[in-house]
Amino acid sequence: MIDIQSGYILRPVNPVFIYFSLLCALLLNLLPIGNYGWVPDWLIICIVFWNIHQHRYVSIIWAFILGFLMDVHNSDILGLHAFSYSFVAYLAISWHRRIVALSVLSQALHLLPIFLLVSLFPVLVHLLLTGEFYWWALTGAIQALIEAMLWPLATRILLSPQRRSIDVDHNRPL
Amino acid sequence: MLIDFRFKALDPIRNNVNWILRPLEYVMMAPRNIFEATSEYFTTRSSLDQENQVMKARQAELSLLANQSEFLMVENQNLRELMALQKQVTFKTLPVEILFNPPNPISQRIVINRGSNDGLKLGNPIANDSGILGQVVRLYERSAEVSLLEDRDFAVPVQVARNGLRAAVFGAGRGNPLELRYLPVASDLEVGDILLTSGIDGVYPPGFAVAVISKIERNADKNSSNVFCVPVAAVNRYRQALAFLYDPQFDAKAPVIDNKSATGAPLTNTPGRRQTRSRGMQ
Repeated sequence: MIDIQSGYILRPVNPVFIYFSLLCALLLNLLPIGNYGWVPDWLIICIVFWNIHQHRYVSIIWAFILGFLMDVHNSDILGLHAFSYSFVAYLAISWHRRIVALSVLSQALHLLPIFLLVSLFPVLVHLLLTGEFYWWALTGAIQALIEAMLWPLATRILLSPQRRSIDVDHNRPL
Repeated sequence: MLIDFRFKALDPIRNNVNWILRPLEYVMMAPRNIFEATSEYFTTRSSLDQENQVMKARQAELSLLANQSEFLMVENQNLRELMALQKQVTFKTLPVEILFNPPNPISQRIVINRGSNDGLKLGNPIANDSGILGQVVRLYERSAEVSLLEDRDFAVPVQVARNGLRAAVFGAGRGNPLELRYLPVASDLEVGDILLTSGIDGVYPPGFAVAVISKIERNADKNSSNVFCVPVAAVNRYRQALAFLYDPQFDAKAPVIDNKSATGAPLTNTPGRRQTRSRGMQ
């Protein structure tokens, strides 16, 4: 795969690294930080990232399973995150050709609506089920903003194994 | 989602998923626990000394109170027996530890480390040393989810400690003060009144502090008043709490039905009416 930003051809991805990063993101989500609206959802960043870059390894099914786990952890209605994660994964797959071609910052801007969708989906479902609009939960917008701001960092970290050079010169490692 | 919301049909699945997820959660709780443990370990001697002094004073106070309360409780039970009132139900408590509060924008819950295996039941109240925290709303085998007072439409029947006025406290959602609803304008309430559980619902044992009235807006033309309260128990301060294994049916007197059978006289106590007792000698 070609890295548009640098123009180099990336190394092939290691599937173990993909699943390891997903597990790490899941564990980060399980950190007992507290019930704050702004804490970024690491898992959705990871899922969207791998769905854009390697959607053959991480598919909608994976998004669904991980979303299901998050539902149980958050004591949400079962299927809330499962649906929003898999819907967003679908969006990411269908946009991946366009998004990969952009610069990292405009990628983040493009993904902001996706993150907003995930953050505000519980409010929407709550509105549909009980007919009450829950203003407090709109702090999820901040979460989405933070996630979008973390996108360049995520790109840097998650692409770094593929950006290693192929023929390493041991005398001049840089 | 609708299936889960309406019918609770997916709870077994949730239980199983939870069984997988819980070890991971415990692993991720380790950093915080280690941090807390080390910071506790390195507390200075003087602060420990100070804490010790305070604890000793408090303990002396409490043991005095406990001696008195034992006496009062026995007296109360005896008097109740004399009056043929129903006995106060005694109940067990179970120490629980608050594991974490799950990030959830809609509701305000905590997860505790005891579940159905420890005898916990759905609806058991959870309290800490200052007052009621909430109620068990979802039960797993080794853990349970507790809905906090702040949760939207979470209702607790209460009694004003000063004058015994009964009302119900409702949660108004995260970040909002609790509300005391359905009270007329003329009701005798003051800012600073302590609200205790009244025990008429059969979920909360009577006499535990729930909230303190913080603001009253009287609305004369609508004959209603908006009363806002602040919960007594601070949720995020301690990790320890108590679960009340309270069941009002347990230990309750069987209803008296023998007054008809002996004489064949018509029933004096129709069902649904309060039990009356003839006074004096007969």
